[in-house]
Amino acid sequence: MSELPPTTSVKRWLVTTNHKDIGILYTITALFFLLFGGVMALLIRLQLWDPTSQILSGLAYNEAVTAHGLIMVFWFLSPFAFGFANYFVPLQIGADDLAFPRLNALSYWLYLFSGVLLAISFFQGGTLSAGWTIYAPLNVPMYTPSIGSTGAVLALAMFVTGTTASTVNFLTSIHHSRAEGMGIMDMPMFTWSMLTTVWMMLFAFAALLAVGLILAADRVLGSVYFSATEGGSLLWGHLFWFFGHPEVYIVFFPALGVMLELFQTFSGRRLVGRKWVIISICLIAVQSFLVWMHHMFLTTINLEIKTLMMATTIGISLPFDLVVFALIYTLIKGRIQFTTPFLFAFGALLLFILGGITGVFLGAIVLDYQFRGTYWVVAHFHYVMFGGATALFGGAYYWFPKITGKMYDEFLGKLHFAIFFISFNMVYFSMFLGWETPRRVFEYNPEFQIYHQFGTIGAFVLGLSFFIMFYNFAKSYVSGEPAGANPWDYSRTAEWAVSSPPPLENWPNRPSYASGKLEFVKDYVPDGGPAMRTDDNGDVATDGGDSHSAHISEYPYWDKHPSHASIWPLALSLALGITLFGFSGFADAVTVQLGETAMQSNVVISNALYPVAIVVGLVGLLYTGVKWGLEDFYAPPTEFAERWPFDGVEKVKLGMWFFLASDVIVFGAFISAAVFVRYNAGWMTWSPLTESLPGLINTFVLITSSFTVILALVAARRKSRQGLLATLGATILLGFTFMGIKLWEWNHEIFDRGVTISANAHGDPIQASIYYVTTGLHGIHVLLGLVIAIFLFVRAYQGHYLDDERPIEYFGLYWHFVDIVWVFIFPLFYLF
Amino acid sequence: MIDPVILQQGSDWRAQAEVFEEIFFVFLALGTLVGTIVVAYTLWNVYKYRDDGDRSDEEFDAPVVGELPTGQGGPKAKKLFLSFGLSAIVVISLVVYAYGLLLYVEQGPDTGDEGNIEITVEGYQYGWAYEYPNGHTERGELIVPADHRINLNITSRDVWHNFGSSRLRIKSDAIPGEYSQTWFSVSSETVREQGGNATYLVQCFELCGPGHSAMKGQITVLPQDEWEEWYANTGNGSASASIRGSGVAAPSGVSA
Repeated sequence: MSELPPTTSVKRWLVTTNHKDIGILYTITALFFLLFGGVMALLIRLQLWDPTSQILSGLAYNEAVTAHGLIMVFWFLSPFAFGFANYFVPLQIGADDLAFPRLNALSYWLYLFSGVLLAISFFQGGTLSAGWTIYAPLNVPMYTPSIGSTGAVLALAMFVTGTTASTVNFLTSIHHSRAEGMGIMDMPMFTWSMLTTVWMMLFAFAALLAVGLILAADRVLGSVYFSATEGGSLLWGHLFWFFGHPEVYIVFFPALGVMLELFQTFSGRRLVGRKWVIISICLIAVQSFLVWMHHMFLTTINLEIKTLMMATTIGISLPFDLVVFALIYTLIKGRIQFTTPFLFAFGALLLFILGGITGVFLGAIVLDYQFRGTYWVVAHFHYVMFGGATALFGGAYYWFPKITGKMYDEFLGKLHFAIFFISFNMVYFSMFLGWETPRRVFEYNPEFQIYHQFGTIGAFVLGLSFFIMFYNFAKSYVSGEPAGANPWDYSRTAEWAVSSPPPLENWPNRPSYASGKLEFVKDYVPDGGPAMRTDDNGDVATDGGDSHSAHISEYPYWDKHPSHASIWPLALSLALGITLFGFSGFADAVTVQLGETAMQSNVVISNALYPVAIVVGLVGLLYTGVKWGLEDFYAPPTEFAERWPFDGVEKVKLGMWFFLASDVIVFGAFISAAVFVRYNAGWMTWSPLTESLPGLINTFVLITSSFTVILALVAARRKSRQGLLATLGATILLGFTFMGIKLWEWNHEIFDRGVTISANAHGDPIQASIYYVTTGLHGIHVLLGLVIAIFLFVRAYQGHYLDDERPIEYFGLYWHFVDIVWVFIFPLFYLF
Repeated sequence: MIDPVILQQGSDWRAQAEVFEEIFFVFLALGTLVGTIVVAYTLWNVYKYRDDGDRSDEEFDAPVVGELPTGQGGPKAKKLFLSFGLSAIVVISLVVYAYGLLLYVEQGPDTGDEGNIEITVEGYQYGWAYEYPNGHTERGELIVPADHRINLNITSRDVWHNFGSSRLRIKSDAIPGEYSQTWFSVSSETVREQGGNATYLVQCFELCGPGHSAMKGQITVLPQDEWEEWYANTGNGSASASIRGSGVAAPSGVSA
């Protein structure tokens, strides 16, 4: 652990793990990507100026379209919202920081370096050009052969990895660290919207990660999922939209949360029907996973499914109606102050109403048939997603005084809003007028030229309006009026109860809502014992028997300060970035010539850069991973907190459960893909590629290793170092046995039977791809488990874990999970 | 802008374009009405309850920092549910109405299958190929007779395309390994009005590669006798780049 340097030092921003610092990093980086994606948008608009003449080639135009979509949806909208979430969710719930500060820093650096990878992809023969929906099979190397296309796919996978870490972090924080007295229904609406957002993200992004990994396998390793005519294209459609529809709400909900906060603050009214709004957004979050096929109405899905999806789609619009009316009624009888933040939030509501109404059009299937692939869809989702983001800019003005301690310039803010709102409608309303233009087409019917030219002018004005905001923020940061702790008349949430900017650890004393309103409580700290809360009778109140209380003695917090700095999140992300950069060019740089046996096979390297990057990156990952594990980083769990519905679950264990839940979806997607393709190919036409005996032996090996992990935990609890070493050693040995058998099996398949990842001498090539990729993903999980197990073994040899066996327990959870996955894989690939 | 592609053959045939125009009009009218009411109501209230500094502090229960939310239901919940119920009724009745017409569009008019023409459409980078029942393959231009129901089975040879004609209001995905269906029919009156043959632009509505913008085709509808003459000259399995380049005598109406 190192000390945190002051904010004026560059080093501070490289090592910080503080949620407010990371929030600032997210916000600034996201604004950079707004400019990046905005330049792409202007290129598109320039190309549309004239229906015949072009400034970009067809390929370059497709790259601009793709990069614009990917950057705005992934690298701008969500991270911009997560900047605020990082900064304000812990403040709103009364926590000192997020549950896992280093993991939070890791999320940020993964985000940043994934963006760097995406930027590099432009120079690797051109970035991806298949549209942000990346439909199959245009997404496979046969149709988009550039290295940059692979680079962009890997960048997306890296982004999603960071997002998953962030999701686990926020879920654990909100469910584990709410101040005493803040029940789940008492949370501020922004926090509520973020909670529902991260719940959706946990499952939706896992599906995206899975489909991204499958695509990466197709592009890097040569599997043939998405070029398979046995449902490969539809497989992409299903998996992508299973993620893609919740994604709409994932980017919209944080903006909705800002609207809900700002409408209250600037009208002086409390939210009308608060309970019903919360129920509505929870319903939307659940329903968002049940509507994805409405993006596929014109595919070959049958009428029954279309009808079902139409019903669920209309169903999901109803809770939104309620939320919109609640927002409107909140203003009534208020004292509405037309500040810049309110104008943006209110503008967002108007834009969203228009986006919502045009969305109902799309819910009627007959209309959808004709709107599909046209500018109606483009206009609609910009009104919803960018219209929603309008509220986020309101959030930026709203929280600017809190983050900087300075007030922004109100006149410039209002000017920005006026220009923004007018030009926004110029760009996107003109799309409704010229809606019959097909999407992503630049040679269009001259009849619509007037609308597209109008839109292009609007787009440039819209782009320029942001420079008013940048100038305003820069000027105000340097020479703005001091804002004070609470510049707003009717704010309610806790971030306004501390100074601007808030101190490093947020609170003067422990925040508590036990009395019904926010108070800062001085806890009684007895000599030599943990802090104890006393109730009115002077009795020591208990925590409901939390398991972690037994471990408090190890970290007496009155003489050990929480850590706020670590370099390893940055280092680990850099290592992963280098690794993925290497993999982006792997297929082009490395050719494997199969011989009769593995020994007779040749590996031809045509470009050493990429394989070297892979090796350097992997070594870096291992090194930084171990250093991370060894670092003495102290992030204390909140002592007195509201934890419903996860009372009594220790912090790290809760995080582990959330992570495993997302991993369930990842494997679920892989296994669903296997089932879907096999169903399309004709279920009974496939028989297992491999003999069942090695798989059967491996099943026993893995199940046995689950028992040895349990025994390891028992040994650690009994403080038996020898027992712990023996059982961990046995687990490692069993893991290697599993991998050895796997290796033999693959060797046998490839060299004796002619079954490789892209060719199959005994049937459909896709069957071989599915076998290698699915069991390969599981193999990587086993390998990762072995790395951790060896780390634990060495540490156990040094005498650790006898006082605190929790790491063994958490590793056990992961290991059991990997074993259970195998129990699903085994029958699918070895028996039937 | 939209031609009256209406089938008036003594039955209740309706072209997809006609169905679309009807639903679109209803949705547009209601959507505009509801949108205007909601936005106007909102704007009026925002103006009415603006903070002009001369409201009395009595009866105004200002929120304070650090308070926990109270009154989760809120006094206006009743009004909230009334508005919600109204909007739900509007939305649900709209969709139920549209669903009835969907069933028609999905099935198409009942013609007893007599005289229906089945054509396989195959998308490729960057064009369309049409295979007729007699095995003849045509590229670029789909030539069909008036007054017949044309059933299209649409697929793709390479990447995901989308076959669509804006004026006919037909559209369907062209997916490798899959066959999707749509149908259309143009009446002989329409063909006459268009001067002997009716032509409709075909575009690709799904990004399919660098040539996506230029992936265009044409549907040409001929009077039935002219079409039959042309069709009779297409031998088994013969292929021609276009009707004009095929050496087949062009029907008289086509030269227009």
